[in-house]
Amino acid sequence: MRSHMEASAPTGLGNSAARWRWPSGPRLQRLLFGSWSLAVFAFLYIPIIILVVFSFNESRLNVQWVGFTTQWYKELFENAVLIKAFKNSVIVAVGATVLSTVLGTIGAWMMYRYRFPMRNALNLLIFVPMVMPEILMGVSLLILFVNMHLQLGYLTMIIAHTTFCFPFVLVGVQARLEGIDPFLEEAAMDLGATPIQAFWKVIVPYLMPAIVAGALMAFTLSFDEYIVSLFTTGPDSQTLPLKVYGMARKGLDPQLNALSALFVLGTIALVLFSQLTKKRT
Amino acid sequence: MKIKTHLLTAAAAAIAGTLFLSGCDKPATPAPTEAPAEAAATPEATATPEAPTPEAAAPAAAAPVTNDEPKELNLFCWSEYVPQTVIDAFTAKTGIKVNVQNYASNEEMLQKLLSGGGQYDLLQPSEYIVEAMIKEDMLMPLDQSLIPNLKNLAPEFRALDFDPNNKFSVPWMAGTVGIVINVEQVTDPITGFADVFQEKYKGKIVVLDDAREIVSWAMATNGIPMNDITDENIEKIRPTLQAWLPLVKVYDSDSPKTAMLNGDVALGIVWSGEGALLLDQEPDKFKWVLPKEGTHLFVDSLVVPKTAKHPKNAEMFINFILEPEISAMISADFPYLNPNVEGRKLLSPEQLANVASFPPSEVVAELQTFKDIGEQSSVVDDLITTIKVE
Amino acid sequence: MAASATATPAPSAAFERKPGLGAWVFMAPLLLWLLLFVVVPTGMLIMTSFVERDSLGRLVYNFTWENYIRAFDWKWLKILLVSIWYAFLTTVICMVVGYPVAYFIGRSPDRFRTLLITLVMIPFWTSFLIRTYAWIAILSRDGLLNSFLISASIIPAPIGMMYTPFAIVLGLVYTYLPFMILPIYTSVERMDGAMIEAAYDLGAGPVRAFSKVIIPLTRPGIVAGALLVFVPSVAMFAITTLMGGGSNPTIGEIIQKQFTSARNMPFGAALGTLLLVLFCVALWATRARGRDDAD
Repeated sequence: MRSHMEASAPTGLGNSAARWRWPSGPRLQRLLFGSWSLAVFAFLYIPIIILVVFSFNESRLNVQWVGFTTQWYKELFENAVLIKAFKNSVIVAVGATVLSTVLGTIGAWMMYRYRFPMRNALNLLIFVPMVMPEILMGVSLLILFVNMHLQLGYLTMIIAHTTFCFPFVLVGVQARLEGIDPFLEEAAMDLGATPIQAFWKVIVPYLMPAIVAGALMAFTLSFDEYIVSLFTTGPDSQTLPLKVYGMARKGLDPQLNALSALFVLGTIALVLFSQLTKKRT
Repeated sequence: MKIKTHLLTAAAAAIAGTLFLSGCDKPATPAPTEAPAEAAATPEATATPEAPTPEAAAPAAAAPVTNDEPKELNLFCWSEYVPQTVIDAFTAKTGIKVNVQNYASNEEMLQKLLSGGGQYDLLQPSEYIVEAMIKEDMLMPLDQSLIPNLKNLAPEFRALDFDPNNKFSVPWMAGTVGIVINVEQVTDPITGFADVFQEKYKGKIVVLDDAREIVSWAMATNGIPMNDITDENIEKIRPTLQAWLPLVKVYDSDSPKTAMLNGDVALGIVWSGEGALLLDQEPDKFKWVLPKEGTHLFVDSLVVPKTAKHPKNAEMFINFILEPEISAMISADFPYLNPNVEGRKLLSPEQLANVASFPPSEVVAELQTFKDIGEQSSVVDDLITTIKVE
Repeated sequence: MAASATATPAPSAAFERKPGLGAWVFMAPLLLWLLLFVVVPTGMLIMTSFVERDSLGRLVYNFTWENYIRAFDWKWLKILLVSIWYAFLTTVICMVVGYPVAYFIGRSPDRFRTLLITLVMIPFWTSFLIRTYAWIAILSRDGLLNSFLISASIIPAPIGMMYTPFAIVLGLVYTYLPFMILPIYTSVERMDGAMIEAAYDLGAGPVRAFSKVIIPLTRPGIVAGALLVFVPSVAMFAITTLMGGGSNPTIGEIIQKQFTSARNMPFGAALGTLLLVLFCVALWATRARGRDDAD
């Protein structure tokens, strides 16, 4: 018997065994999957490369290459409106992501762990924000906010964004919960933990990849949201899509390309740095 | 461009601005001595670059730069339609902070407004929405003594069907809808809609994604007045549309120029601004023609909703943008039909020579505008959808 | 094994407790949120579908069935079916294309995993419009792909790739691929290597190990991914309009138009409600079947 089978921790925790080849499995499989993934990454990044290239294009219309220039970057730094819009997008997206992640994770765990009445209805309701066309959601939330006498602004936007983002987190976490060792929590409590401690110290680490995945999805959805933002924004909280969507008429300003290029490169650098400086587990 | 969208956005902006300015008093008619006194006293009034014509400079300074409203203005306008340079110049001159909210479609603006969202001082609706809003008593009559620069407007824009004498609205930019042709791919002469919708151009046409527009072209081709949207007339034009729509490759109201520039289509029926941009970009490749069957004029205007909280600031802004230099700034960014005669004098010969931007004025004087068709919007939309799906 | 991601997974009956006070307290935020921001707006939506509107588009509160009567027309069904078809195609393609990637990332060394999975998402932190315009620059007649293919003598003349169903599906797959990869990844990541090793030890070839062991183990992730791609893409319209040219409207576009140029909110609400109902029925049907499987 392979030694790492005996060394495995309780099955629920998956990758405890440290001594895996990367990735496990026949070498051919590794190669195939690796090159497939490379191709898919290329597919995902081709438009990004193009938009970065066009951020240096001399023409205002993103159609043909005319000449090299850094003017758009210069103009971007002076474009207080666009930068503010970008900041607002980040603020709203971060807020929505945090709220969605909390709601989604706790909700998924609670629904898994306890037999709540009307559980079926709950499962259904969670999907409603995903099915409902955005304009319907935007208009109805606006009417709700107006009736609640809430000032339109960051708060209303974060609430609105969270509403359609958290289902993604919840569904993702639910998938990860399926097949979890049911006695994981009990084992922790046997060792003296309260249910809350058990949740925090045992379940959450187990769920972490799903939480991270959910957070990434939530952030992405929120960052690029237009319609719901349109109806729930106040004067000060205009996000980037709101400023950008009408730009198509005049031709998308290459400053936007510059902004996106910087953001993409910035986040890649950040993630690379933070991950690669992590100690080997 | 979607004027409806401007209207919606403008409406929403107005409402938002209005709610915002709830602290303010309703403006009373300003004291008649205020205007000329301010004109003489405030040096900032003459700080804007000198206009070539002396008559323009003096009246431009006539509007008061101070009033009793808080120094704030809530503008709800189409994205990029109000250049940031203009906004900054306004703030520099008057010290009024401008909060800009954007929308990308007239209807979105209207929807936000109707759903109760936002208070705005200024909106930017298109003509038929202005008409609807006037009918529904949603707009505040403009205090024209605060807007002396109205005289800079061309006469045809002071006597518009939907708002004679600019009681409620001041034109921002206007335009037509016409045909743009890629002369490298299309060698036959094209003079009108009938020439565009020929079998040989199947799959090579881009048109606006606007049901009302498309219907108006079919009506023009069938000799029916374009505002006569009755069930009878709809049936009359149905065969025309059924022949036309299968030939269309792309429906796009936001940026039809993209498909033209990318070579995916060879002909298009687009907004004049799009045509102007194409002519500017590649003057040898594209040609602009107004259809002989007839076209219409669209006018985007600034209006002040009844619920505006800073109407005097709003009127100040309107007066400001009517100054020739400012008007020229707007034209620099948007090659549409500039209704400001004094502003046009400051434009370059190339700008004025762009036939898409500036059709001959006798043509403009003849053009009709869209009237508000209310519930028929749904009928029209349905018609086009049905034929698209057939 | 629990049936679908949407069914609350079913551990042993003794495990699932009745919620005590503490549980209710922790569940409360979600419940309140659902009540306030999902149930109430849905209620408003349903209510709107039963009223009339005036010429400006404002609601006039007279009860009427006319919106639903109008909705039961063959052409809306046709449009809905087209939308569902695109969504289905997108989901299948995303599954096939995305699974290997999720598997690869899920089985990478620990310190690369988060990096790689974030890299999957980062392209989507750019503005949707410029991404789409970049695709247009690639796929159009005078665009990069055609220029490349022609200069490499692969094709003699440019192919029209834009504004076709191909472009629509490409756009949809591009947009939703991460939402398939991420959930599958979370399932792959928790797989115990021991089980897979065991499968190989017992003589299964790589294909059999995959189909009989790995895929069933990652089924929750696959199902979650399928839901997170299929459900939103039915109502999606921005991409389909931009990439497809608009000659074949989707149900999302139709509903959008009702709220904007058609000034007919009640009809849009009716279509939206029908979409919701359809979805609920489908979800209930799959879960009912799933529960039968589990028994």
